[in-house]
Amino acid sequence: MPFLVLFLGMYLAPICVAVYKSLFVMHSQGLGLSGGPSTVFKPLANYTRALGDSAFIGAILRVLLFGVVQVPVMLGLATLFALVIDAVSARVRAAFRFAAFLPYVVPGVVAAMIWSLLYSPNPNASSPFFSNGLTLWSVANVVTWTWTGYNMLIIYSALTAIPSEIIEAARVDGASGWRIAWHVKLPMVRSSLILTTVFSIIGTAQLYNEPSILQAVSGGAISSTYTPVMAANNAIHVPDFQYAAALSVILALVVGALSLGFFKLVNRRGPAWG
Amino acid sequence: MGNGTKWAQGVALAVAAVAIAGCGSSGGGGGSTGSAAKPVHLSFWGWAPGYQDSVKAFNASHPNIKVSFQQVTPGSKGGYQKMLTAVKAGNGPCLAQVGYETLPTFVAQGAVTDISSYANGSAGEFTPAAWNGVRVAGKTYGVPVDIGPMAMFYNKQLFSKYHIAVPKTWAQYRAAGLALKKANPAVKLTSGMTDYDFAGFDWQAGAPWYGTSGNTWKVSYNSPAGQKVANYWQSLVSDGLISKAPTYDPTWLSGLANGQIATVVGAVWQAGTLKASKPISGKFAVAPMPQWSAGANVVGNSGGSSTAVLKGCANTQAAWQFAHWMSTDRKSWPNLVTKGGLFPADKSLQSLPVLNAGDPFFGGQKIFQVFKAAAPNVRQGWVWGPGMQAATTSLNDGLNKAWVGKETVPAAISSAQKAIVRELKQQGLSVKS
Amino acid sequence: MGMSAIRSRPGSAGPKIRTGADPLSRAVRVRRLALAVILIGAALYFLAPLWWLFVAASRSLGNQSGTGWWFSGFHLFANLKALVDEQNGVFLHWVANSLLYSGVGAAGATLLSAMAGYALAKYRFRFREALFTAILAAVLVPKMLLATPLYLLFSAVHLTGNRLAFFLPSLVSPFGVYLCRIFAAGAVPDEIIEAARMDGAGELAIFFRIAVRMMTPALVTVFLFNVVDIWNNYLLPTLVLKDSQWPVTVGLGNWFSTKGAVELSNYVIIGAFASLIPLAAVFVFFQRYWRTDLTAGAVK
Repeated sequence: MPFLVLFLGMYLAPICVAVYKSLFVMHSQGLGLSGGPSTVFKPLANYTRALGDSAFIGAILRVLLFGVVQVPVMLGLATLFALVIDAVSARVRAAFRFAAFLPYVVPGVVAAMIWSLLYSPNPNASSPFFSNGLTLWSVANVVTWTWTGYNMLIIYSALTAIPSEIIEAARVDGASGWRIAWHVKLPMVRSSLILTTVFSIIGTAQLYNEPSILQAVSGGAISSTYTPVMAANNAIHVPDFQYAAALSVILALVVGALSLGFFKLVNRRGPAWG
Repeated sequence: MGNGTKWAQGVALAVAAVAIAGCGSSGGGGGSTGSAAKPVHLSFWGWAPGYQDSVKAFNASHPNIKVSFQQVTPGSKGGYQKMLTAVKAGNGPCLAQVGYETLPTFVAQGAVTDISSYANGSAGEFTPAAWNGVRVAGKTYGVPVDIGPMAMFYNKQLFSKYHIAVPKTWAQYRAAGLALKKANPAVKLTSGMTDYDFAGFDWQAGAPWYGTSGNTWKVSYNSPAGQKVANYWQSLVSDGLISKAPTYDPTWLSGLANGQIATVVGAVWQAGTLKASKPISGKFAVAPMPQWSAGANVVGNSGGSSTAVLKGCANTQAAWQFAHWMSTDRKSWPNLVTKGGLFPADKSLQSLPVLNAGDPFFGGQKIFQVFKAAAPNVRQGWVWGPGMQAATTSLNDGLNKAWVGKETVPAAISSAQKAIVRELKQQGLSVKS
Repeated sequence: MGMSAIRSRPGSAGPKIRTGADPLSRAVRVRRLALAVILIGAALYFLAPLWWLFVAASRSLGNQSGTGWWFSGFHLFANLKALVDEQNGVFLHWVANSLLYSGVGAAGATLLSAMAGYALAKYRFRFREALFTAILAAVLVPKMLLATPLYLLFSAVHLTGNRLAFFLPSLVSPFGVYLCRIFAAGAVPDEIIEAARMDGAGELAIFFRIAVRMMTPALVTVFLFNVVDIWNNYLLPTLVLKDSQWPVTVGLGNWFSTKGAVELSNYVIIGAFASLIPLAAVFVFFQRYWRTDLTAGAVK
């Protein structure tokens, strides 16, 4: 399959390069101004450094907290909206689908720019949205705004695939709209919910655009190592690609384990697909 | 899927063939020797508005050399990363726009070429601070293009409305802030500066962030002079004179426009930043940078960049020839002033007529005259260190908190000092704090 | 489950109740009110920031940094003209680039995802699950990290500064494969494939004539998502493309971060607004293909 060839070239090859590089450290001497630094093979150096990097560990814990709250809220809303548009007239549905889709097409950077202005319109007042407890949720709001419609579309497309006989049967049995939604439709879109959850978990782990733009207006509440990917991006700019690669590999392993755990948890009742 | 597999094999073969062909030949450096009939080709990466026009003018007047300009995103927004990656891959450009603060990083990465033998004879043409910026550890790596001497942009309508004299010293500056606050609590003196803008304050005060002694870096964010600057700015925060708007944010521009933020102490190119907002037009004027002692005449610098010759450039001499021409050509420079808001590092260009014109945006004031007077007074002795982007990241994390009162400025400087020493040691460099 | 069932399902469950119950029962009225409140509230939430962007883009040029929710004069068209005129029409050039990358890239990515998803759902071969897991696992590594190795790989084959360097990675969409696998498994019945094989149809023919048509709603979704993904990709094109090949996001991002350049920051707001229009148009255009009855003819 051509997909496989491209996949190997565009994903696996760069991943291998990155993993390989993460096994080296850059080393300079003295002022470090004579020629480039030398690379030394020290397979564990970057990893031990990363695990001792309190800012990085803190960032991982932060996105973990973010994900535990934001992903269920966003998917809850997306599911609710999907069920609602499934029960209204085609014209209303089309209009709402359009409205919900629009935030998703706004580039993350622009979305964060707009929200940063909405959060802090007054030059001489501290924005309440970046007070101690609220910062993470102000970021979460931008992410929710952007991605709820997208997830709604996926869940809705699964709803349309439910055979109408099943719905009719439930209705004949006298079930109300809400009961059908909860007991019939929801279980039928389970695989879509699992799909969107896993991809949301991955997206959360890679949170970058929103916090890095909001950083400017956050009054220091968002640091340059607020999320793991921001920390990795810092390392790339040092430039220390090797360390950035190690950070990313650790992040990928953590997220992979979490996603796998989630799959295991929900998959006791059959495979997630089909 | 029989047919599909065959097709896949075909694609795979094609990709493999391209890959093998690619690996067989080595990447060129982007330069070649040539004669009048066969001109030398040089590639040049940069981002400042107006560079493209300079390159066009050069190509028109130099048949032996053909420069092709490629725009990249501004250095700290990805341009430097692209240049360093390209050099590593062996297909970097011959010439690149590199800020003075980033040049040592390029040297440390082994990404630039020593052009001392061509360039050193021209040392006297440039403002000393600029020339100093292209010299790293005794060698010259680029040609200075522009510099960022600092001054004070102030809302003259506010100052005259409340009968407050334009401050000449930092003590008067603070007093002016208190007077403005007393007259109208909604008016803040200024906004918090970060990274290279804040460096300009330390630069003026004689508090360089780096130094070398022998083969060892000396990191000195926390020097006594640096602490003096930090304590001063902390006093402004404590007095409630600093706006919460982050500098360069749209709310900052609207604060300047509606009289909620009274001044900006910054480099010459801030004029261009202010001009992005029409409502500011006619309200602001430019005065010299406030001084630490009355009657002194020392300023800092913020920003400015050089044209560096990158590693792998096959024709260093032609590269130098172009870079020198671009920095010193009288005909093409006015365009860089009007389009990019640049201020020339070349001393003789500072007398260009375009720099002596009144600017209607600033009520007809000949604002460049203020900067022209400031340029030779940029303080000597400033040194940039390796890895400035990482260093300013740690600094900004603290300063951003300090400007809204969540931390103090001196504490921010101290923690930046620690983080930067740690980072340099991590790279294996020899460091003293 | 058969497609005929899906096809025959009415677009909404509402009309039957509404026409049947007369007068409207209290429960139905409460239900409709609840739905309306949810929909209107959500729509406001989604649209308010965009309204703000629209208002900002409509203020007179040079006043974009102002705040406020209502117009002070409507200058959108003058602004758009100024935007288009800036730097000899470079904005339209960027938009054209973006359309090219998104259109062709998304079409290719959708086709590849469909083929891969279909194969993973309908063929049994060794390492199938391992391959599928690998595809999913690849998403775990932040794309930002892959940009530099990709640059090095492309420069080894002399493709940097070539549009292919952005096209090729855009063609691979692990998410699209995942979605297509689910849909192929659910929407393309094995019996139909078997029947077509009996009739002597080739595998490619079965895929293009039958499977693709049945998977259309999913493919439209995958296509739209790919259009947006490619359109909004920022990092990779900055690294591997020349300025003349920049998509609109990179161009605007560049204007945004050029300090001291007169007026450019205003164009960022106007440009951000203008660049939403093509994407919105694409969405409206493709929305009609979401009607599941498109697959009607395929199953009979």
